Amino acid sequence: MAHLLFWGGTLSILIILSGLVLYAAHGGFNDRAIELHRAASWAGQVHPREVFVSIAEVARGLEARPMRPTAVIALGLTLLLMTPVAGVVVAIAGFLADGDYRYAVIATIVFALLVVGTVMARRAG
Amino acid sequence: MALTTFFFAVAATSVAAGTAGAILGLGGGILLVPVLALYFGVDLRYAMGASIVSVIATSSGAAAAYLRTGLSNVRIGFFLVVATVSGAITGALLAGMVPTRWLMLVLGLALAYSAFATIQQINVEVPDDVPFDWLARRFGLEGAYYDRALGRQVPYRATHVGRGFAAMFGAGILSGLLGIGSGAFKVLAMDYFMRVPMKVSTATSNFMIGITAAASAGIYFARGDIHPLIAAPVAVGVLVGAYLGTVVMATLRNTTVRKVFLPILIYLAASMLLRGLGMHLL
Repeated sequence: MAHLLFWGGTLSILIILSGLVLYAAHGGFNDRAIELHRAASWAGQVHPREVFVSIAEVARGLEARPMRPTAVIALGLTLLLMTPVAGVVVAIAGFLADGDYRYAVIATIVFALLVVGTVMARRAG
Repeated sequence: MALTTFFFAVAATSVAAGTAGAILGLGGGILLVPVLALYFGVDLRYAMGASIVSVIATSSGAAAAYLRTGLSNVRIGFFLVVATVSGAITGALLAGMVPTRWLMLVLGLALAYSAFATIQQINVEVPDDVPFDWLARRFGLEGAYYDRALGRQVPYRATHVGRGFAAMFGAGILSGLLGIGSGAFKVLAMDYFMRVPMKVSTATSNFMIGITAAASAGIYFARGDIHPLIAAPVAVGVLVGAYLGTVVMATLRNTTVRKVFLPILIYLAASMLLRGLGMHLL
């Protein structure tokens, strides 16, 4: 599990960094000011091009030619956000391998709660 | 602000937040959100999105190291995460049905009391005479770690597990209701209620906060609160900071960590009480 968290974190950061390098190579840093303000609601309007709200959007950004550097960054961020969930799955396997069934059940409950939470968030969002 | 300047300034701030977060068992959001929002003028929702990224980066960076050195207790972590996440889901369901101002007042008072309790045991390096607790025995909430500052192996066993679990459930409800992180509460429940050594408490909290944050990360992402150009320097900086923090932590004493933790507790108590009274401190 320690390995997974370490490599999950490291890989995400490497992807984010390469996205940043690409962004710089495309002249993204040239005297640009960053828009820090966010509209209160994007209902009925398009959200800023730099922001990605779904994995499908990230995938489209990666498939686009030339590839969109911000999509590479978003890919790294998505991987980072999924690392803890992957950690829980690996922990379940670890507890099972150790014959620690009580904790395998507890970790499975945690995983189920994460799924419930995400589904609820989908509904609410 | 020019993008380049913004980038380096945010990354540098994030290194500091990651280091502090890794040592104190917090996600760094408590430090990062005010700085991003007030100093850099980042929209509060983007700042919160960056904060979720920061929590998970701190957790992945620090927990990996703490798990390897045995400072994080995986069992205590998973046991309490059940309470926090189910509390958070309950809190989300209760949203809109409970007067949050009263809750914040109660929470503020509870925090103020625990700050006071922390002052009383500020010089306790390693808890001794820990009362026997059958839940701790049954769920194997015990362990040992090698303390470099003390130069010896430190065995420990949790106590008052029921109270700690209840406190975690309550903290989870509040974080679900108010959208605040609960790293500080996790540390408190372990250090104060369960009497686990302070360093084990913060290291285990580091392991837990990533899992709790992952539960809500999806919402922030789907809502469009995670701006790649703001979150990128935060993620990189915090991860580097978290690695640094774990190196520093190994050499610190339990009492030192607790002394650094205390002002955060007082700040949280004050800000909750003020918000409960209708004033914003951020």
